[in-house]
Amino acid sequence: MPKLHVHIYPENKHVTIDRNENLLQAITRAGILLDASCGGQGTCGGCKVRIREGQASPVSSGMLSDDEKKQGFVLACQCVPKSSLVVDIPLESKLAEQRVVLLDGSEGDEVEFLIDDPNFTDEECSVPMYNRITLEVPQPTLGDTEDDLGRLLRTIRRETGIEFLQPTLDVLKILPEVLRKSGWRVTVSLAEGLGLQPVEINRVEPGPAADKHLGLAVDVGTTTVAAMLVDLNNGRTLAVKGTYNRQAVYGDDVISRIISVGEHPDRLGDLQKAVIDTINNLIEELCGREKIEPADIRAAACSGNTTMVHLLLGLNPANIRLEPYIPVANNIPAIRASDVGLKIHPGAWVQSIPGVSGYVGGDITSGILVSGMAQADELTLFIDIGTNGEMVLGNKDWLVACACSAGPAFEGGGIRHGMRAMQGAIEKVRISRDGSEVSYATVGGAPPAGICGSGLIDCISWLYKAGVIDRSGSFLKEAGTPRVRDNGEGIEFVLAWSGEVGICKDITISEIEIKNIIRSKAAVYAGIRSMLKSIDLKVEAIDRVVIAGGFGRYINIVEAVSIGLFPDIPLEKYTYVGNSSLKGARMGLLSRQARRQLEEIAKKTTYLELSEGNIFMEEFISALFIPHTDIGLFPSVQ
Amino acid sequence: MALTGLEIFKQLPKTNCRDCGQATCLAFAMAVATGKLALDHCPHLSEAARENLGFATAPPVATIKIGAGGEQLCIGNETVLYRHDKRFENPCAIAISISDTTCNDEITSKIAAIKKLEFDRVGQIHSVDMVLIEESSGSPERYAETVKLIAGNTRHPLILKSENPVAIEKALDMAAVRKPLINGANSTNYEAMTTLAKKFDLPLVVKGSDLNELSLMVEKVMGLGWKEIVLDSGTKDAGKVLADQTQIRRLALRKYRPFGYPTIAYAAGGDHYQSVLDAGVYICKYAGIVVIDSADPADILTLITLRLNIYSDPQKPIAVESKVYEVLTPDPDSPVYITTNFSLTYFGVAGDIEASRVPGYILPVDTDGVSVLTGWAAGKFTPEIISEMLNKSGIADMVSHRKIIIPGGVAVLKERLQEISGWEVLVGPIESSSIPGFIKQHWRA
Amino acid sequence: MTLKLAKEKWPGRVLEMVIGQDPWAVIAGGDNTLPFHHFEGEMANRPVAALEIWDVEPTDWPEAIKAQFEGVLDNPVAWAKKCEDYGADMVCLKTASANPEGRNASPLEVAATVRAVAEAVRVPLIITGCGVEEKDVQTLQAVGEAISGYNALLGCATANNYQAITEACMLHGHNLIATSPLDINLAKQLNILISELDLPLNRIAMDPLVGALGYGLEYAYSIIERSRLGALGGDKMLSAPIICFVGQETWKTREARTEQKEEWGAQTRRAILWETVTAASLALAGGSIFVLRHPETLKQFNEHILALMKPNSY
Repeated sequence: MPKLHVHIYPENKHVTIDRNENLLQAITRAGILLDASCGGQGTCGGCKVRIREGQASPVSSGMLSDDEKKQGFVLACQCVPKSSLVVDIPLESKLAEQRVVLLDGSEGDEVEFLIDDPNFTDEECSVPMYNRITLEVPQPTLGDTEDDLGRLLRTIRRETGIEFLQPTLDVLKILPEVLRKSGWRVTVSLAEGLGLQPVEINRVEPGPAADKHLGLAVDVGTTTVAAMLVDLNNGRTLAVKGTYNRQAVYGDDVISRIISVGEHPDRLGDLQKAVIDTINNLIEELCGREKIEPADIRAAACSGNTTMVHLLLGLNPANIRLEPYIPVANNIPAIRASDVGLKIHPGAWVQSIPGVSGYVGGDITSGILVSGMAQADELTLFIDIGTNGEMVLGNKDWLVACACSAGPAFEGGGIRHGMRAMQGAIEKVRISRDGSEVSYATVGGAPPAGICGSGLIDCISWLYKAGVIDRSGSFLKEAGTPRVRDNGEGIEFVLAWSGEVGICKDITISEIEIKNIIRSKAAVYAGIRSMLKSIDLKVEAIDRVVIAGGFGRYINIVEAVSIGLFPDIPLEKYTYVGNSSLKGARMGLLSRQARRQLEEIAKKTTYLELSEGNIFMEEFISALFIPHTDIGLFPSVQ
Repeated sequence: MALTGLEIFKQLPKTNCRDCGQATCLAFAMAVATGKLALDHCPHLSEAARENLGFATAPPVATIKIGAGGEQLCIGNETVLYRHDKRFENPCAIAISISDTTCNDEITSKIAAIKKLEFDRVGQIHSVDMVLIEESSGSPERYAETVKLIAGNTRHPLILKSENPVAIEKALDMAAVRKPLINGANSTNYEAMTTLAKKFDLPLVVKGSDLNELSLMVEKVMGLGWKEIVLDSGTKDAGKVLADQTQIRRLALRKYRPFGYPTIAYAAGGDHYQSVLDAGVYICKYAGIVVIDSADPADILTLITLRLNIYSDPQKPIAVESKVYEVLTPDPDSPVYITTNFSLTYFGVAGDIEASRVPGYILPVDTDGVSVLTGWAAGKFTPEIISEMLNKSGIADMVSHRKIIIPGGVAVLKERLQEISGWEVLVGPIESSSIPGFIKQHWRA
Repeated sequence: MTLKLAKEKWPGRVLEMVIGQDPWAVIAGGDNTLPFHHFEGEMANRPVAALEIWDVEPTDWPEAIKAQFEGVLDNPVAWAKKCEDYGADMVCLKTASANPEGRNASPLEVAATVRAVAEAVRVPLIITGCGVEEKDVQTLQAVGEAISGYNALLGCATANNYQAITEACMLHGHNLIATSPLDINLAKQLNILISELDLPLNRIAMDPLVGALGYGLEYAYSIIERSRLGALGGDKMLSAPIICFVGQETWKTREARTEQKEEWGAQTRRAILWETVTAASLALAGGSIFVLRHPETLKQFNEHILALMKPNSY
C-alpha cells in the first residue's frame, strides 16, 4: 500500500501518515497543536479542520453544523485518511497555541517564541543552503587527462545537475591531496544561495564525512529577533530562542533608526553591531543549550523587513525613507558570515530572504510562502501587524502587497496603561450595557498590570456596544457611570479600580487613546481596502485570511471585526500562521525549492505605494469609525 | 466599459520582465487600466491581446490639436464624467469672439484688451486661449480682411466661424498656416467644409441642429475620411447645452464613435452676468472650448479661475497654502504653532487653538499635503524645512518672542531645530485636541 | 436613425428638508437626479438662497456690500426685513455677538435678538452660532428655545459639539446644520452620529465647509458631487441636502475685496461674479441651500437657476 501524506495549510507542512493513525495524531506529529480539549473523543469540536483535497471518512461529525460539513469541515480526531489529503486549519482550532505566552525569567526582556516543530519531508530538505554530497571522482588516466578541478566539477554536475559552480581557493589548495589520499572518494560541501549566484564548493573532505552540520534561521524583526538552530542533515529543529533587538536604543521603529543613521557617521556601524550582537547572543545561548560549536553552523538564512536587512549587512537605508523609497537592493546575494561578524563558521553563507520593496521585505516574502497563498487558487489576504502593518492580497496568479504605519498602539505603545501581551496584561474585556460593570481576563491570570493589544480591541468594541462611546470614539455625554471621568487632561474610562484584586493604580483608557487605536485599526483596514480597490475587487472576494506575527496570536477575531480592524467575512476563513518570517527563513535554509519560490514571489509581487494618490487617505478617514463609515461593509456587526 | 487591471493582466505575458519600466505585469496592467500608460509600452504583447485590449483601452474622446508651433493647444482626451474619478485631462479652452461686422478700430482695441487678459496665479500665468472670428457680414472679402487683421495682431490660435465655405476658403489663404479650427460643417455645407479641412489638414467643427442630426453629420464627415472633429450640438440655451454636453460625454465613454470628440459651446452674447454664468456651466460640464463675447477682465479672471479649479488634479491631497495663519486675533506675544499643510491636520490644529481661546499663529509647513508623522517619516517635515519656513514666512516680524511649538509626535526634531533656526522649541502635545490644556499650562511669551 | 440616449435612473434621492412654516416655508432638496438633469429625473425644488445678516455690525465687510444695507447694519431686525425686500428665500442670522473674543453676548441676550428677527420677517430663518464650539452649544440651546416651533435651521454642529445641539433641535423642533471639514467621509460620519441620536436625516443639512472660487472650490465641488451621487445611489447617510456658506468665503478673497486693480476689472462686477460663480458651480455640483451676502448676487443667482430649471428633456 502506498504511503499517504497530509499537506497542512496555512503552515504549509507535510507529514506522512502512519498506519491507522487519525488525522489529529498526524497533525500533532507535524508539530501543530489543535484545541482538542476532550482528548480526541469527538465531543469538544475543537479540532475542526477543512479537507481541501482528498478523501477522509469521519467516524462522527457531531458538533459541526450542516453548513460546516458542506464546506468540508471534519473533526480531525474522528478521521482516518483514506487518501493523501490537503487540509486547512482554521484559526479557532488552534486556540491552544495562541494562548501560550512564555515569559522567560523575571527581567521582562526575553520572550520565548513558540514554533511548531518542523518535520520536513525528504524532498523539501533535499537541498539545504549547505549541502554535502559524497562522490566517486573518476581517476585520471593517460587517455583522460582533465585537471582535478575539471573532473570534480564534472562529477558534481552529473550528480546534482548544478551548472554554475565555483570553488574557493582553499578548496583548490587541498584538492589534489584529498582526491588522491581518499582514493577518489570525497565529500564536497556545496554552499548555495539564491538562483543567480554560482554554487560554491566550500569544502572538500576525504571519504564520507560524518560531523555535524547545522544551519541557522533568523527572523530579524524591528522589535524582536528570533533564531532557530536546524540540523541540516534531517531538517530537524534543535532549538529556538527569541529576544529583543538591541537596536531599540536607536529608536523604536525603522524610520527612527534610518534617521539616526543619517545623524552620525558611526551610527550605521553601531546599528549593525547592535543587531549582530543580538543574534550572536542568541547563537551563543542556543549552542550552549545544545552543546554545539558555533563553527558547526555552516549556513544562515535571515528574514526581515528591508530596513532591518540593510542594517544587518551594513547597507545605508537612507533612501528607503525618502520618496520614492528606494532600497539599495531587494534581492541581495549571500554574503559570508565573517563579513558581518556573525559568530558562526566564518566561511558560512548568510542569505537574506529577498524582499519586494523598501517597505515590504523578506519577512513578508517568507509569510507569502509559508501561507501557501502563492500556490493557491483561492484569494488570500495575508496580514502581519506590528508597528508597521504589511498586507498581501493574491493567489497563484498575482500578488499585491502594501505597507501602512499602524503605529505602536496594538503593541501597547503610546497608551498610558498599554503593555505587550505579558503576564498580567488585560487581554479580554467585557463591559455591561451602561458601562458600569467591567469584567476582564489577564494573561496568566495574574493581577492586572496594564492592557495589551487584544484587550484594547475588546475594550473599544465593548465601550461602543455598551453605549459609552459613539462611533467616532468620543464619549457620549449621557453615559452616567462613575467609570467615565475627567482626569483634568481629558475624559477617560476606568477599566479596573485600584484596590481591585491587589493593584495599586486605576487602569484607564482615555478618549485620546481610544482615537489613537481607532487610527491604528483604520490604517490597517484602509490598506486592505486600497489593495482591493487597486484591482477592483470587493471584500467578499477574499476566500481566506492568514494572520501572522506576534500580535495576531492573541487577537479575538470577532472583536477585531466588530471594531473594523479586519474585514467582515466568516470566521472560519481566518487562520493564524505564527512567526511566518522565521518559518520562511527556515524553509529557505533547508530547501532549494523554497528558495526559488521565495525569489519568484519577491519578483512577482506588486508593491502598492499607498502614499501615491489619495485613495489610501480616503479609505483611512472612512475607516476612522466603528466599525466603518460605510456600515454596509460590516453586515455581521450590529 | 473600461477594463479592470486584472482583466488586462490576464492578457499580458506575465513574465514580469520589467521591459515596460514597471516592476510587474500586474503593475503595468493597473497603470494601463487607470490610463497612466498606453498598452504599447509592453513590447511582448501578443497579437491576440493587442486586438482584445486595443479598443477597450483606447481613449474614449479623441485629442484634437489646434494652432501651430508653440501656440498649439490640445483639447479632448477626456476619460471620465466626474472630476473626482480622475483629473480632467485638457483644460477647456476659453475663446473670445469677434465679429467681422465690427469696425477695424474696435477690433484692434478688443484684440489689445484680449492680450492684456493675463493673470498670475501661484506663480503661473493664465490667459485666454483662442480668438473666434465670426462671419456675419455675408462678405467673404470682409471676412478675409478681418481674419487678416486679427491674425496679424495676435498669436492666439484661431477659430474661423462661417457657414460659407467660400468665406472660409478665402480666409484660409493667409490663415491656414496658423492651423485654425474651421467652424464649421453643417448639413448643407459639410462636403465642401470637409474638403477644406482635409486640404489644409485642419480640425473641423461639425454642427447638428440637435444630437440626432449631430451624430448623423459626424458619421458623414467621418465617412468622407476626416476625423479631426469638434462637436457642436447647435443649442445655446444653458440648460439644454448642459443636457447635450452630458449626453455627448456619456455616450463617448460608452465608446459611441460619433461622439468620441471634444465639444464647443457658446455663452450668450452681451456683457450680462448671465453669459459668464453660462460659460461657467460649460467649463464645469464637459465643453472642450467655451466661447464668450466679453473681454472684461473681471469676467475672464472669474472663468479662468474656475477652469483652474475644475481641471486640477483630484488625486493630490487637499492642502492649505503654506503661509502664516492667524487664529482668533493674535498679538506679538501669541504662541506660534508649527504643523503640516495637510488640510485636515491644519483644520484640526486651528479648531483646537480656537477652542483654547488663546489666540495664536499657525505655520503649516508645505509637506505636499501629508500629515505630521507621514511628513516626518518621508523627510518632508525636517528641521531644515521648518527653519526655512520660519525665515521666509515673515513670522519673525509678527511676534516679539522667538518660540515655536512643534507637534509632540515629532519631539525628536527639537534639538536640531533649535540649533539651526535659533528659535526656542517647545514640544506640544501629540494630539492637537490637548492644545487647550497645554497652552494654558506652558505658554509664557 | 434615432440616437439612443444615455439616461440614468437612480435608486435613491436627496431628502426634502422643510424650513419655516407655511405659507412661507421653504423646501430644499428632494431631487432624484443630478442637478438640472430634467431629461432623466425630477428636480422638485430649485436650489434656495438666503442672505446673511449679523447681530452685530460687521467690521470687516467691504464697502461694496455694506452699501447695499446702509442704515440697517446695526439693526438685525431692519437688516432682515431688507433681505426679505431683496427677495431672499430665507434670512441667515449669524450670532456673531456671542463670540467670547468680541462682545461675548449671553445666550439669553442673543436669543432675544433672534426672537425679535423671527417675529419681524415672514421668510424662514437660518441661525448660526459665532463658530466657537462650546459657546455655540449654549447660544443655540437658548435660541432653539426662544424660537421654539419656528422650524428654523440651526447650526453649526461639529463632531465635537453635535450631541447638545442635536438635542436642542429635537426638543424645539428645528433643523440642524452639520459641519465637517472638507471630507465626504467625515460628513457622512457626522450624519450617522446625529441620526443615531434620532434626529431624522431630512432635518440635517450638510455643510462641507466650502471654499470660494480660487480657494479650494474644487474640493467642495467634488465632495458635493460625490455626496449627491451617493444619495442618488441609495446611500441614506449621504442623502441630506447640502448647505453652502458661499458669502462668507467669497468676501474673504482678494478678488472680492481688492478695490482698485485695473487688470482685474471693476471691483463690484468682479466681486459679484466671484460670489455668483462660486454659488452657481456648487449648485451644479449638487448644493441645495446657498447663503449669500450681496443682493445682486442673489438676483443673478436666482435668474441663472431659473434658466437651468427650464425643461431640457429630449
